[in-house]
Amino acid sequence: MSDINNNCKNIKIRLETASVLVNNAIEAINQNKIKKGNLIWLELTGCSGNIISLLDGSDPSFKKLATKMVNFIYDNSLMAAEGELAMDKLFGAIGSDFILAVEGAISTKDNGLYNVIGRWRGQPVTALDAIKALGEKASYVIAVGTCASSGGMSAARPNPAACVPVHSLLNRKVIRLPGCPCHPDWFLGTLGYILQFGEPALDGDNRPLMFYSTLIHNICPRRPFFNQGIFASQLGEETCMFRLGCRGPVTRVDCPIRQWNNHVNWPIGNNTPCIGCAMFGFPDKMEPFVSYDITR
Amino acid sequence: MNDHEIFINLIKNNISEMLETIDSLYISCNSCTKNMLLNRLRRSVTNLSMLVQGFESSQHLSDANDPQQNPTRVFTLAELRKYNGRNGNPAYVAVNGTVYDVTNNAAWAAATHFGLTSGRDLTGEFASCHSGQSALSRLKAVGTIAE
Ligand code: SF4
Repeated sequence: MSDINNNCKNIKIRLETASVLVNNAIEAINQNKIKKGNLIWLELTGCSGNIISLLDGSDPSFKKLATKMVNFIYDNSLMAAEGELAMDKLFGAIGSDFILAVEGAISTKDNGLYNVIGRWRGQPVTALDAIKALGEKASYVIAVGTCASSGGMSAARPNPAACVPVHSLLNRKVIRLPGCPCHPDWFLGTLGYILQFGEPALDGDNRPLMFYSTLIHNICPRRPFFNQGIFASQLGEETCMFRLGCRGPVTRVDCPIRQWNNHVNWPIGNNTPCIGCAMFGFPDKMEPFVSYDITR
Repeated sequence: MNDHEIFINLIKNNISEMLETIDSLYISCNSCTKNMLLNRLRRSVTNLSMLVQGFESSQHLSDANDPQQNPTRVFTLAELRKYNGRNGNPAYVAVNGTVYDVTNNAAWAAATHFGLTSGRDLTGEFASCHSGQSALSRLKAVGTIAE
């Protein structure tokens, strides 16, 4: 496990970003300064790993989100309603003010038939139908995770279902939160910001700068090893994993500081190279994830 | 003075500076000064390791077969293919006729970069992603591609 430097102001402040934003949003809602948001979460062509990751959020937590920050209108894994009733809720939101979070890419082959997310009024509803019906009506669209942001696993070669990321189907801005999965803090912090202030500062690829502004390599605790040319030749060695294929140098996000599972650890802290899961082009362009056939 | 002697001189100077710093560390009792001296020591250690690296490569200067030291080396595409970063080989790529060493470039972990492998001419790929950027100036040129 890598130790968090408790004395570093930069690290401390960054770790608090999401919880401060969420707590402030909740306070503003309680004081009637802003309204609770309406949230629709679509699980499209993917593994549902992002909603699972969200449930794992600790500070801020999923409970805070669902009970104090938003009216959670629709998510097929979590809601009590099912079948037609659930679909009524989904399509009933059109016309109201809602924020749309999407996880998973969108299968487009054969009119989207390879990903049917439910039935409504006797007709199958595909992921493609859902994103077209809701995508342009939402006040904000947040692509949660790598599949929604850039195609990810679902669009990996040979991409049999012709999956595409959310923004390629919508004629509007889509805030992108790549990561396989997306860290609960990245989503909750972004949502907390939107509720209070609107769109957060984004980079050229529409990723919120508050989470996606630094390369992993530039804040990696193993960077001194890289600088000195001390490289691991196999997994398990506690030095820089550049030669084994570490993608920290091309991946822009704050894992080294934030860490995962209640801020406990992260891949490099556990002696496995970064595989670039939060970088566009993952997984195809980030391979090989580990190579033992290496340079001198 | 040849390169060899210059390096030896610099290394000696560095060592005597480190010894001085250590002497001062023994007599200082103020933690602020101590930290300053420790920082100086760390800087010297870094300098020393760089000097040693420089010294080692200056010893190989005469080896004309080592393309690292001979940027005028001409590669055929077949020769370039050997420098694919595997089996202990360095990783080279060619762009616009020049061969560059990417062995220790951070963005080329495991001698691969966004799905591209080394040991190849990547002129087209480079133009489609980095045109107008100064990425090449940061790479070490090791030769050219045969006409
Ligand atoms: S382990 Fe990866 S991210 Fe860390 S310094 Fe090495 S190459 Fe960079």
